[in-house]
Amino acid sequence: MTTLRINGETHHVDAASDRTLADVLRNDLGLIGVRVSCGEGECGSCTILVDGKPSTSCMMLVNQGEEKDILTIEGLAKGDDLHPIQQAFVEEQGFQCAFCTPGFILSAKAFLAENPNPTAEETAVGMSGNICRCGAYPYIVRAVMRAAEMLRAPAD
Amino acid sequence: MGSDDKNFAVVGKGVKVKDAHEKVTGGIKYGVDMAVQNMAYGKILRSPHAHARIRSIDVSKAAALPGVYAVLTHEEAPDLDWEAAWFNYRGKVLDGIGRFVGDDLAAVAAKSEEIAQRAVELIEVEYEILPHVLDMEEARKPDAPQIRVEGNERDPYVVAWGDVAEGEAEAEVIVDCDIFYESQQYAPLGRNAAIAEWMGDRVTLWTSSQTPSELRDGIHEALGIPLSKIRVMALPCGSSFGQWWSNNFMLITVLLARKAGRPVKIELTNEECMATVKRRHLEHTRGRMGCTKDGRLTFARFDHLIDNGGYGFKDDVGFFCVDMWGKASHGHYAVHGINTNLLTAGCMRGVGDCTLGASVEQVADQLAEKVGLDPIEFRLKNQITGGDDLRMQHSKHNMKGSMKEYIAGIREDLRADWPELFKLSSGGTADILKMGAERFRWSERWAGWGKPNWSEGPRRRAVGVGTGAHVCGVEFEGSTSAVVRINPDGSLKVHCSVGRQGQGSETTQCQVAAEEMGVPLDMVEIETGDTDSCPWSHGSLASNTMYRVGWATRAATQDARRQLLEIAAREHFEVTDPNELDITGGLVHPKGQPDSNSRLSISDVLNIIRSDTLGQTSSITGRPAVPMPPSTTFARQFGAQFVEVEVDVETGQIKLLDYVAAQDSGTVMNPQVLKNQVIGGAICGAGFAIYEHLVFDDQTGAIKNANLLDYKLLRAADFPWNAEVLFHEDYDPVGPFGARGAGESPIAAGISAIHQAVYNATGVWVPLPMTPERVARALGQIQSDAA
Repeated sequence: MTTLRINGETHHVDAASDRTLADVLRNDLGLIGVRVSCGEGECGSCTILVDGKPSTSCMMLVNQGEEKDILTIEGLAKGDDLHPIQQAFVEEQGFQCAFCTPGFILSAKAFLAENPNPTAEETAVGMSGNICRCGAYPYIVRAVMRAAEMLRAPAD
Repeated sequence: MGSDDKNFAVVGKGVKVKDAHEKVTGGIKYGVDMAVQNMAYGKILRSPHAHARIRSIDVSKAAALPGVYAVLTHEEAPDLDWEAAWFNYRGKVLDGIGRFVGDDLAAVAAKSEEIAQRAVELIEVEYEILPHVLDMEEARKPDAPQIRVEGNERDPYVVAWGDVAEGEAEAEVIVDCDIFYESQQYAPLGRNAAIAEWMGDRVTLWTSSQTPSELRDGIHEALGIPLSKIRVMALPCGSSFGQWWSNNFMLITVLLARKAGRPVKIELTNEECMATVKRRHLEHTRGRMGCTKDGRLTFARFDHLIDNGGYGFKDDVGFFCVDMWGKASHGHYAVHGINTNLLTAGCMRGVGDCTLGASVEQVADQLAEKVGLDPIEFRLKNQITGGDDLRMQHSKHNMKGSMKEYIAGIREDLRADWPELFKLSSGGTADILKMGAERFRWSERWAGWGKPNWSEGPRRRAVGVGTGAHVCGVEFEGSTSAVVRINPDGSLKVHCSVGRQGQGSETTQCQVAAEEMGVPLDMVEIETGDTDSCPWSHGSLASNTMYRVGWATRAATQDARRQLLEIAAREHFEVTDPNELDITGGLVHPKGQPDSNSRLSISDVLNIIRSDTLGQTSSITGRPAVPMPPSTTFARQFGAQFVEVEVDVETGQIKLLDYVAAQDSGTVMNPQVLKNQVIGGAICGAGFAIYEHLVFDDQTGAIKNANLLDYKLLRAADFPWNAEVLFHEDYDPVGPFGARGAGESPIAAGISAIHQAVYNATGVWVPLPMTPERVARALGQIQSDAA
């Protein structure tokens, strides 16, 4: 049994130790927003946050998620209320097919936590761990810049 | 058809795409996410040889493995050929011959993927190794190994006008070319899976596809079962660009599920997606163009080879560059499709216009330099504008006879509203070249041919401009249709068979229907994947979606609206002519009086027919009343793009510094959707220009970089984040509310702009893709040439 804390909930999963965390998240827990593409940590589609750090879950074994706080795209919105980064991606249309979008949004969350007031150039470099084959990059950069602004604004 | 009324309620509005929420929350389901109960998992046995026949196959060990449900070999596969759209595949599902390393030979269905894979490895095959050929020129020779029963080479597809010899005599300057293009891979991030489930003798297939109708046709051809027994449910594609149409692994899934007696899912790995499905052609252009001293093209003669790999059967690539540069007085373009023992090649975004088009652009640039014109002036002199002749007038496959005969066969009354055929109906490059040049400050930044505008140490900067054109959909394989249903509550459902590629067409089609009906956008929803409810369409290919499918969606909406207003006139308004009525914001009212007290909602109008005594139906169904005019004979899209690059002449590295993309796709249905299309095209073009190419083993043809680590794609920092998109909206007489196609001209324009800019920075035309190594080699920084 592996105990995983995902999106604030604790799950006990019975998964063979040679399985990847991405596989277990997708296939045992139904978290299909964890997208798997290259399977070798190159494209960033399977990015999740592990204790706040962006991690390619296709390169992690399931037990590497133990005792960690895991955030997947499914845990980002509060009910129907999108997280500001999600909202910014909608407004700037920072996607086309959107297969890469969960990975980009979670990478952006970690990036903005480290650098809440980035330049566009820093943002473009910060988003370069993920691949968007549709080429929405300029709108992804604009979405992350807009999200940074929204997150910096004082809460009501 | 239609008016050119620009006071649109929904058209042209940058509304958020309808599926935005599911896209940012991870809820959208692609092929790989689909599952049905009790499904088995399939794996495919692949050819280890470039060309080999199965002499014998023993599946007994595989079948005996616990957990295996079925093993499918060519011995039980139907002896029937099937075809994908535009001859992207022609052959049997399995026929016991491997035509490239990685080709499909057999398949296993089992309880898990792991068991299926182990069983595949237990299949014992004795191969008869056949001679193979990897090179197009070799494959053309009469004694070459034959890959297909039809022979290795198709008859050339020729577009010709005037007399080239005369044009050569008139020319004062001539430039020749001999250019080879590497093969780009679709590199689909979302991979794909197919799930087939049989109920008796009926089958349902779920998979990511841009062409649900053609996929259903393919199953019909491959299995020989009636279309009525086949339902395709196309799921969203995780990027496609031409890859996911109808692919052989989908048909294997259908056959395997029938044999296993239970649903089967085959999910492709990233490597399978890149090495076993298809790719862009390897291409080779030889040709020449000539012009007068004042820069007027007198002739163009090009001979272009495309390799189809094992199963492609194309005789052309949609080279609409011919039309864009069609002002040349004389022309002769021939394209030759040739099979080789390489991975099947097919249509990838901007097919032909990224390659043959890039050759024409390069030769045109070289001519411009020789006659002392800047690239914009040269294009303004020689590129097409509305009303000019189109050069591509030949018959196409699946059409009976020539294009002219096809047109003559359509009843006069059904083509009343057609524009003049074989003339460009609208658009061109002149306006976008001018507006882009102004925005880019071209005249200030252009330093002359082969001259950088800035240099420091080994770094050189220069600007470049490129143009691209493409068709706006094709009519060769059937008439595109759509159905629009008005539900009893006044909401609308559009049914059109275009799949979901991700470009936002679900939203733009709904915008078309909402505008035409006069209802708010949130009253309109759409089904694009279910062939049981969507009428036949070419799908989302050849830049078809906005133009041809959008036309059909509008025509179907007009038909539904007409029926609605007839009921309203008769039953509610007591007017004889339904044209005296209008719909605004979902309310029916006397024309010109949207606030009239007599106005009533669509659901109130429909209430009258929701009674067994009064009507034949409880909802209204609209469909196009006439066929769509053949758009290849008059409609084109155009892009002009401007870039500044920095080249490090020591390391060969290229940086893209600044970008302006000007686009003429007619009326802009949704600016943000179109911007994404244009920039996405430019970035895919930039990948083709500076990074992307498959590496084939020179002995076996096996692909050596079928993964995203070794096949390099652009990242966010590799393209200017502040790239600008400008629109010139030359209203089209046929497209919905004046809109045309969009997705493929931008990639072609981008490639040529970057190529030219690198020439201007370095003084050398570097072969594409201009990887650092190739740039350094071309500039003499790498002396040895071992490779």
